[in-house]
Amino acid sequence: MKSYDEIDPVELEIFKSIFISIAEEMGVALCRASFSPNIKERKDYSCGIFDHNANTVAMGDHLPVHLGAMPLSVLSAIENVELHPGDTVMLNDPYRGGTHLPDITLVSPVYVQGLEQPAYYAANRAHHSDVGGISPGSMPLATELFQEGVIIPPVKLVRGGEIDRDILSFVLANVRTPEEREGDLTAQLAANRIGHKRLLEITEKYGYQRISAYMSHLQDYSERIMRSAIKGIPDGVYTFSDYMDDDGISRQPIKIRVAIKIKGDSAEVDFSGTDPQTEGSINANYAITLSATMYVFRCIIKGDVPYNSGLLRPIRVIAPLGSVVNARPPAAVAGGNVETSQRITDVLLGALARAIPERVPAASSGTMNNVTFGGCDPRTGKSFAYYETIGGGMGASPTSHGISGVHTHMTNTRNTPIEALEHYLPLRVRRYCLRRLSGGMGRYRGGDGIIREYEFMSPADINILSERRRFPPYGLQGGMPGKPGKNTLVTGNDNRRLGSKVSLRTKEGDTIIVETPGGGGYGEGR
Amino acid sequence: MRIGIDTGGTFTDFVFLTPEGMKVYKVLSTPHNPGEAILNGLRESHALKERLDVIHGSTVATNALLERKGAKLALLTTRGFEDLLQIGRQTRRELYNIMVERREPLIPRELCFGVPERTLYNGEVLEEVDLSAIDSIIEELKREGVESVAICFLHSYVNPANEELACSRLQQHNLYTSVSHRVLREYREFERCSTTAINAYVAPLMERYLSSLEVELRGGRLRIMQSNGGCISSQSAREEPVRTILSGPAGGVVGAREVAVLAGYDRIISFDMGGTSTDVCLCDRGIMTTTESTLSDLPLKMPIIDIHTVGAGGGSIAYIDEGGALRVGPQSAGADPGPLCYGKGEEVTVTDANLVLGRLDPDRFLGGKMKLYPERTYEAMGGFASRLGMDINQLAEGVVRVADANMERAIRVISVERGYDPRDFVLFSFGGAGGMHACSLAQKLRIPAVIMPKNAGVLSALGMLLSDTIKDYSQSILKRGDQITPPELNRSFKPLLETAYRDLQTEGFTKGKIELLEYLDVRYVGQSYEITVPYTSGYREEFNKLHLRLYSYSDEKRPTEIVNLRVKAMGITDKPTLIEQEDRGEEPTEARIDRRRMLFEGEVYQSDVYLRELLQAGNIIQGPALIIDYESTSVVPPNFTCQVDRYENLIITLKEK
Repeated sequence: MKSYDEIDPVELEIFKSIFISIAEEMGVALCRASFSPNIKERKDYSCGIFDHNANTVAMGDHLPVHLGAMPLSVLSAIENVELHPGDTVMLNDPYRGGTHLPDITLVSPVYVQGLEQPAYYAANRAHHSDVGGISPGSMPLATELFQEGVIIPPVKLVRGGEIDRDILSFVLANVRTPEEREGDLTAQLAANRIGHKRLLEITEKYGYQRISAYMSHLQDYSERIMRSAIKGIPDGVYTFSDYMDDDGISRQPIKIRVAIKIKGDSAEVDFSGTDPQTEGSINANYAITLSATMYVFRCIIKGDVPYNSGLLRPIRVIAPLGSVVNARPPAAVAGGNVETSQRITDVLLGALARAIPERVPAASSGTMNNVTFGGCDPRTGKSFAYYETIGGGMGASPTSHGISGVHTHMTNTRNTPIEALEHYLPLRVRRYCLRRLSGGMGRYRGGDGIIREYEFMSPADINILSERRRFPPYGLQGGMPGKPGKNTLVTGNDNRRLGSKVSLRTKEGDTIIVETPGGGGYGEGR
Repeated sequence: MRIGIDTGGTFTDFVFLTPEGMKVYKVLSTPHNPGEAILNGLRESHALKERLDVIHGSTVATNALLERKGAKLALLTTRGFEDLLQIGRQTRRELYNIMVERREPLIPRELCFGVPERTLYNGEVLEEVDLSAIDSIIEELKREGVESVAICFLHSYVNPANEELACSRLQQHNLYTSVSHRVLREYREFERCSTTAINAYVAPLMERYLSSLEVELRGGRLRIMQSNGGCISSQSAREEPVRTILSGPAGGVVGAREVAVLAGYDRIISFDMGGTSTDVCLCDRGIMTTTESTLSDLPLKMPIIDIHTVGAGGGSIAYIDEGGALRVGPQSAGADPGPLCYGKGEEVTVTDANLVLGRLDPDRFLGGKMKLYPERTYEAMGGFASRLGMDINQLAEGVVRVADANMERAIRVISVERGYDPRDFVLFSFGGAGGMHACSLAQKLRIPAVIMPKNAGVLSALGMLLSDTIKDYSQSILKRGDQITPPELNRSFKPLLETAYRDLQTEGFTKGKIELLEYLDVRYVGQSYEITVPYTSGYREEFNKLHLRLYSYSDEKRPTEIVNLRVKAMGITDKPTLIEQEDRGEEPTEARIDRRRMLFEGEVYQSDVYLRELLQAGNIIQGPALIIDYESTSVVPPNFTCQVDRYENLIITLKEK
């Protein structure tokens, strides 16, 4: 039998193209067939293929926040469930392979003839608009995971090709919008089916030995590129810390600290000195911290590189158990994924700015400004749950002003058109514009944040999970910080300033104004 | 005399339809004013003496947008939403680029005006437009010297009253206006606004260009190619120039399809490989359009031919990246400096690899008019190969394989990802570099046949000549399928149909030549992505069928929602008939001019070389062979057979085993 241990640069490129295209084809199917705007319009999902050891081989260019976490989902499926051909495992438990509850992951093993164990895995994760819990949209100000929604440990959603109706109806009974959930899960299944089919096709064409060898070569390839990027950073220890406003329960700021130690072509990222996990829901699990780290190091690579497990090999991440960057169950985590991940990114980039100032921009808005609302639509009598995020200002870079009104770092989800929102939900958007002069001044100015103003046509439960309302996005090299964000409730003539994390019930005619932070400025100047 | 003119490339191509058949003419393009090349060509070919009927693919609008050289533009939108265009969908282009440069917006902030007005989702006007506010905006527009204004108010697709009011006020002051509900009567404000803004941005320029061209044509008829594959009168093109963006590639696809249908193939994948990029497009019996395209970061929500472009061409540069993979493109040496063998380039390109493999004849490049320097290729590639521990032939085959893989992926995107099996199609290859790759691509994708058309160099101009007039109309209704009855649907279609019919009459078409096709954009309730299906009583079944094909599942029980009504209005033009040639027998002796060494999968073959212009209908060539044309070279690999059909197209198929 021919050995594929030797790497052929031509084959490497061709298999790279094949693996990435499979992940992307899965993404196209998921996106188009899904129901909730979260997946469809906002593209809050990720797809990937994995080798027999649950290492990522390739992922589509989807959401950074999902990337480091996906292989842990696959691993959890393997460890917790006895897999057979035709099975698909579903999970969202943050302490068993998930990130936060609304992200539901499906993992499908792919068996090839002559092998007992799965040869590969196809997996995808999508953010569902509601997975139950104490408030619509499932991004509540909770103090325990149990309040955040239905917890799905790794279980089989599909057994031998047949959907397990018991499991499905159990999950659907625990969510507010079961039809939409079922539609989205069906789309997720379709995506894995496509990955499964394509993996079998290429195995038939090229043979398992060759595919498997190049899955491994491709990870080595990404590893080499990462090592060469790290080599470009001077050796040394670079530390940085920044704060989160609060956990939504107390007013206590939460410190995140990192020390990045660069030595040759490898890095140690140590979060020791970070505050302990909190009562409120901004705890991140290890998967999220890993994702954020991977994202930041990926950003220092110029050009494109396949996103796979090889990228992480040169990097060692130390996150003290029980801290806000590696929480223990049953800590609430809804905000860890969306908010803490952004601060981890800020802190990592801040540390790298000390090593390579000419290649790191000032802080971007540093929050996803999560807004969820739900209630009963008086026009239809049906309940609704909706979740969206709002962009902010991008930090100025060493060579350019920051972009205004855009999602940065760990997210890149699209907005929902106002004309769609108003058609389907009992609310009116009164303003959606840039927040002038909110970007930090400097030689290059930070991008401006956004103002989004909602008027509710009926009583609604509102949750805002936001950050950078107290501690502004930092400027660099003499640039000024961006303006912190602001949340306001307007009832009649009464304006009430809200905290960064609030849960409230509005009356008909009430208005919520969310003003998002501007990016930091770069360099001294105007 | 009818003439198709494509100004898009290095040359401006003319295809004349004369009583004796088709004639082809080429002149050098004049990018600063494409009209100049048109007149040069018409003058040189003595066509100006006759009454002309010109169909023209214009690059004026595209270039104005790409180079940001359009009108000084202002935007009027609902107060509170002034930054609609700037925020867009609030996403960034590159996920991992933290050093991104900010792009110049189409409209500067100070020229985006919020107007006090508001319409609700159900069409109810909450606040009528404040005309005194409009008046003071007009003052400012005049002060600023604004040439063109885009108007886009929220929910104008349901009720355009406020937009109408604002528009008529602006028109009293002779300002060019482009109004969103007229350009695109569909929901999703950013996409509608962006499409409207592009229209307003290119309109004044287009107006000037077309007026001067019309004067020069002295009363001849002028029609303009659109990106949907149909043409429109120059008057319509002035009103909605946004529809003409990307018309050049559209002409190519129309030409490809018409030629393929004549040859007996109605399901094709067109494959146009040039120097820097490759365009691929799938035609399943008809030409397929999409409304999801982006140009220069701005969404263009108009039906345009669904062409997919990748950065892989003859000039694509090969290199070893930091991780040790052999990469090809997307950087390209283009035509200048060009590949190593052109004499100036310093980088190994796909063309150089083809030269090493014997797929280019250095003595007969561009009919022998351009000298090649093979020694430069051999020297550089030899060194490159030895650094990799390969021989030069292995490297050359590797470069071609990687380039093929990039193009294979592009074809998968338009076929497999959309639920089509490439095996049901033929590959229609044109463009300068396509002929060297088409057969191996077809083999990889199991496409059974490749067509290489006669007149491949002027296919786009030919497509324009053969095109019908096509106009698209749409209206968002956002109604659940079970809450609208067929009579109500018919009633909703009526105004669209009436406008469409009237417009085609204005374009000069009479009853028998007008075809109106009705479509619905449908989705399951709760989805936010639509599928376009023909409007028949069985539209739901058709939708379920398509959904299953595209997304691998469907659910008949799930309620559907009708998002948009669409009408495609076609004015059928008389098609010229291409002349059939007599069968001259299988033996292509007269065309055989040489033998040369070619490489396929590591094996050396002594292959025959043929001149394309000497091949005759009925000729059969067994691979391996090389067929040389003025602008392109076609490779017939060892296990393929090439047949010249009665229109002198090459039809190449895999030999039966």
